Amino acid sequence: MPEPSASADQVRPAVYERRSTAELIPQIAAAVGESFLDASSEQDMDELALRPDGLKAAVAALRAAGFGLLLDIGVTDHSPLAPRFEVSYHFLKMAAGSRAGDRTDVSPARFRLRVFPDDANPRVPSLTGSWPNADWPEREAYDLFGIQFDGHPNLRRILMPEDWQGYPLRKDYPLRGFDRRFVPGGRLGAVPPLKES
Amino acid sequence: MEIGPQAPFMTTKLDEFIAWAQKSAIWPMTMGLACCAIEMMSIVSPRYDTSRFGAEVFRSSPRQSDLMIISGRVANKMIPVLKQLYAQMPDPKYVISMGACASSGGVFDNYAIVPCDNFLPVDVYVPGCPPSPDALIYALMQLRREIEAGGKSRVLARNA
Amino acid sequence: MSTPADVFASSPDVTLAPADERDTLVLSMGPQHPSTHGVLQVMLRLDGETVLAAEPEIGYLHTGIEKQAENLMWQQAVTVVDRADYLAPLSNSLCYVLAAERLLGITDRIPLRANVLRVMFAELTRIASHLVWLGTHAMDLGAQSIFMYAFEMRERILEIMEFVTGARMHQSWFRIGGLAIDVPAGFLEKIGALLDAFPERLRDMRAILEENIIIKDRLIGVGKLSAEESIAWGLTGPALRAAGVRYDVRKAFPYSGYETYDFDVPTHAGGDCYARFVVRLNEMHEAWRIIKQAAEKFPGGPVVIDDRKIVPPPKTEIQHSMEALIHHFKLVSAGFNVPEGHVYQAVESPRGELGLYVTSAGGNKPWRVRWRPASFYNLQALKRMAPGNLIADVVAIIGSLDPVFGEVDR
Repeated sequence: MPEPSASADQVRPAVYERRSTAELIPQIAAAVGESFLDASSEQDMDELALRPDGLKAAVAALRAAGFGLLLDIGVTDHSPLAPRFEVSYHFLKMAAGSRAGDRTDVSPARFRLRVFPDDANPRVPSLTGSWPNADWPEREAYDLFGIQFDGHPNLRRILMPEDWQGYPLRKDYPLRGFDRRFVPGGRLGAVPPLKES
Repeated sequence: MEIGPQAPFMTTKLDEFIAWAQKSAIWPMTMGLACCAIEMMSIVSPRYDTSRFGAEVFRSSPRQSDLMIISGRVANKMIPVLKQLYAQMPDPKYVISMGACASSGGVFDNYAIVPCDNFLPVDVYVPGCPPSPDALIYALMQLRREIEAGGKSRVLARNA
Repeated sequence: MSTPADVFASSPDVTLAPADERDTLVLSMGPQHPSTHGVLQVMLRLDGETVLAAEPEIGYLHTGIEKQAENLMWQQAVTVVDRADYLAPLSNSLCYVLAAERLLGITDRIPLRANVLRVMFAELTRIASHLVWLGTHAMDLGAQSIFMYAFEMRERILEIMEFVTGARMHQSWFRIGGLAIDVPAGFLEKIGALLDAFPERLRDMRAILEENIIIKDRLIGVGKLSAEESIAWGLTGPALRAAGVRYDVRKAFPYSGYETYDFDVPTHAGGDCYARFVVRLNEMHEAWRIIKQAAEKFPGGPVVIDDRKIVPPPKTEIQHSMEALIHHFKLVSAGFNVPEGHVYQAVESPRGELGLYVTSAGGNKPWRVRWRPASFYNLQALKRMAPGNLIADVVAIIGSLDPVFGEVDR
């Protein structure tokens, strides 16, 4: 790790410091078994791609390795590529109680899991049983993308109104939606699409 | 302030007095939606003090307020809430649509944001993203001029 | 199914928990409420004044920012990204801009002056955001005059923002490749004046609030979460540091040169609202220290990288150079392409870890901009923190979590 020099002219921002978690990948791959798709070391963190069946095993392996904070559950719609949906889980391992500024000790690290469910009927096991903060992001993934989370106690829309039709953040949902709500005088027909610039 | 050559002198003076009283004590409702709400809170701060105009008393209850400042973008889920709040306000009531998002959708030309004049009658539109507190105070001045010019505040000469 | 009469008949203790659901009241607090800091609806199940269960309902400010960003070019999306966490707009843009720069691979080439200014303004934004928090939180607890003190101080910060960037809020000043424009002459004097004035004001406000018996009565022991629970609920930022966990993204995964500044990460062992209160007050002081160091460091040089494929050339050059004109035209009309890939970039916003998981498909528009909003996860913990407290404590807890609904709902 380059030490910053004292002269203001030469102080440069450090390269993004990746804590290597490469030794984790074979452990998780072993835990996941047949659901394993791919693993790589990206510039920001290590990641593992898998099918939904192996999610619980992967998460348990991560927790055993010290990754105790679920940072985020997000969805990306890669259509027209297949598999289309990528449910991304980011985990953080921190050295609780130790000085996080001290770089010689066990440093915080991150890990990413990318789950690729079925295109037509995307179902992923829910993590709400053992991770309390998975509740809302899973509801949001259902609301905006239509991913079903098996075992979620309360899977209903969270950001859109309860009676909204469609999953707005999917790539086949137009930016302006399908109908304008509350246009004075009403407007018949669909909303004109945005002109591609 | 002319209602007509036949209007009696005392009722015109009473109308003027009522208009003056109403414009000097417009009580807004705390209807802070998004970023514009922060600039709306700033008009109460010492730099842009609206208590000079009698309007610093932000009432939380719609039943006690005269003015609804839609400060921020209106999402789909919020529409029935705003309609109910507007219905709960007693007459005469005014609406200022503050900011680009409330007036026209603003930066967000998408499925989620609805301009507020689609479902509420608006008296003054304030452009800006967010409008500076000066702009909102100018809008308040416009509203005061509107109140003074009559219309909603006419009590005695409605049929004239 | 017992009636209330049966319940009281079987035990003389009138403070029993209700025997069945019919004895409880479901109250909707919000979405229009003076103290919910925005459009939050909390469905409270109450037994008298005590909260038995709390379920926050969000989505009243869902703006489709993520989808809007997918339809704007990379440099245009900065404007829309700013408006998520509207109390700290430069934090959002910093996160987005850093993510895009990582995908482009130009992080190391950002000039020093740009990084110093980014740090300086990110910390100014932190102070401004914490001042709004302090003003509104204290006002919720009854100390209305603190609102005036805090907002007056904030006006001075916004004056500097307007002086440099042209806008009070939503500056959109951080751009991919550096900054939009350089700071004007006279900037250092203004910053110096602000740095001289700020500690006294902070000291005044702390003197009124920190040892105040009312503040302590209202905040100590309210909304307590242990360190393990805070981690389990995904809290970050001041709420996590108030439980004793020293995690700050600026120290753990530094960006923009934060490792070259000398600052502490304030923590507190309490885990309750008072701990979060004290942590944020201390953070304002630390932010002030960072700005002071940045102002002393203030190097010269350019504020953008010298890559004309990403950053437009200066206007003076466009007037007499054909290539500069073409570069400018291409950048404005078609933008630049960002190589395929995905990256998770986090910054320490005033609310906690703000993360962006940006996916690029190789085009001139982001393919997906996934927010990891700090307030979303902080607010979820309200479900755990509110039960057992009074309604008035729910107000204190929401204030101490400092949620911003532009970020929660996007």
